Amino acid sequence: MNTLKFLLALWKANLQSVMEYRASFLTQMLGMILNNSIYFLVWVIFFERFDNVNGWGIGDMYVTFGIAASAFGLVSLLFGNTFNLGDIITRGRLDYYLSLPKPVLLHALASRSTASGLGDFAYGYLSLAASGLMTPQSALRFTLATLLAAVVFASFLILVQSLAFWMGSSNSLVNIATNAMITFAIYPITLFDNTAKVILFTLIPAALMGALPASFTISFQWQTLGQLFLGAVLFLGLAILVFQAGLRRYESGSGIQVEV
Amino acid sequence: MQKYFAIFKVTLLNNLAYPAELLGRSLMILPFMWIFHQLWRVTFAAAGQESINGLTVASTLWYLLLAETIELSRPRLGYAISDAVKDGSIAYLLTKPYDFLLYHYSSALSETLLKGIFNFLVGGALVWFLVGAPPNPLGWLPVAITVLGAWTLNFCISALIGLSAFVVEDISAFQWVYQKLAFIFGGLLIPLDFYPAWLQNIARALPFSSILYGPARLFVEPSLSAFLSTLGMQLGWIFALSLVLAFAYRRSLAYLTINGG
Repeated sequence: MNTLKFLLALWKANLQSVMEYRASFLTQMLGMILNNSIYFLVWVIFFERFDNVNGWGIGDMYVTFGIAASAFGLVSLLFGNTFNLGDIITRGRLDYYLSLPKPVLLHALASRSTASGLGDFAYGYLSLAASGLMTPQSALRFTLATLLAAVVFASFLILVQSLAFWMGSSNSLVNIATNAMITFAIYPITLFDNTAKVILFTLIPAALMGALPASFTISFQWQTLGQLFLGAVLFLGLAILVFQAGLRRYESGSGIQVEV
Repeated sequence: MQKYFAIFKVTLLNNLAYPAELLGRSLMILPFMWIFHQLWRVTFAAAGQESINGLTVASTLWYLLLAETIELSRPRLGYAISDAVKDGSIAYLLTKPYDFLLYHYSSALSETLLKGIFNFLVGGALVWFLVGAPPNPLGWLPVAITVLGAWTLNFCISALIGLSAFVVEDISAFQWVYQKLAFIFGGLLIPLDFYPAWLQNIARALPFSSILYGPARLFVEPSLSAFLSTLGMQLGWIFALSLVLAFAYRRSLAYLTINGG
């Protein structure tokens, strides 16, 4: 309960911070919605010309793209430092979080909010509405699927960024892995053969961020829900374990820093 | 000109000092090219056709490689200029005996060129492995000229976005929208040949197609007429946008207030 209170207080402070510059906040949020909408036109054009990809149509694409956008948005909005964790580690900035009596990983991740994340999150629901599949039930399933997809995405980023404990600066690898995860999540899963699908459920779990949550949103199945939960729990557990293992190797110059 | 060449050379040497970093960043093109191969292989098979609107799977992949090379190699110049405006370091650059815009152009071109070579080689190796040999190397020189034109045109647009930092707090939204418009109207993910005719006409009339589609299409089907038409369009847009850029730059300086330091 205390941790939840602490998280809520952090998020409130972050929100106040990003909303200090109202015009910038609104520009970023609306700009991101516009950005995603324009990007999605590629798929509209594609499916106008080619109808479907091995049975995967524009409706599936709206939902898949929407889930991925909302999950991405949720992570950048609530756990914005997930994208910078590697930098925080290599620059010795974990010192600050280690010196406080709060869970280190959670505190570090939730200490930053990216305003455009709200635009991404909202866009997901617009995309669901555009798919023509929006009902109160599908909206609820979409919300649950987005939460689980966000857990998988955040866990994957923590895993990749934690490599900084062993490798030092790993920016290139982090960029490649993050881009691969997002790219594979927003492409039709029917493109891939079985070997590629195994990779997309394990090494780069993009299927757990796009296709599978989308399938759950479109039609409820206990099995899909179970797979999503299992994926989220396993990846989160693994991410926490790897981070904790890395933390034991962590060293810094003990620089005194002030977090503003 | 000599001083701008010196800036070009210094940036080139700076970047060459970290070849592993350059190579690491170039690996980013691999997932994109692999997924494009999956998409177009399945799409062509589903359509049951060897060639669609003059493009085969192989030529589509080589087209996409060049388009991706141009896109992934262009520097995030808008942010560089906007940062200089916001943190005040523009004041430092303005006191130097060179033109602010030409300084950025020389430095950006150098960085872009290196990234472009690495991206093309790394991505090209994968595409060659997936679909076979690249198009006729005899056409590569005109393509290289139009790629240079594409990057120059991109510079004009990015610099205009960067200068908008003089009047708005944050340029991110403009950057995103520009990038996505280039995706759509430039034919980055789908060649314009697959678009409906009315959309092709709109796209071809905009500068984005001269940045991506023109050079990439020339690469897979080189011809003198395609080269002249692409280059002509590029020069026209570069001329028009340079005038707008020069005007915007002069207006921007009027906003600038430097307080000692």
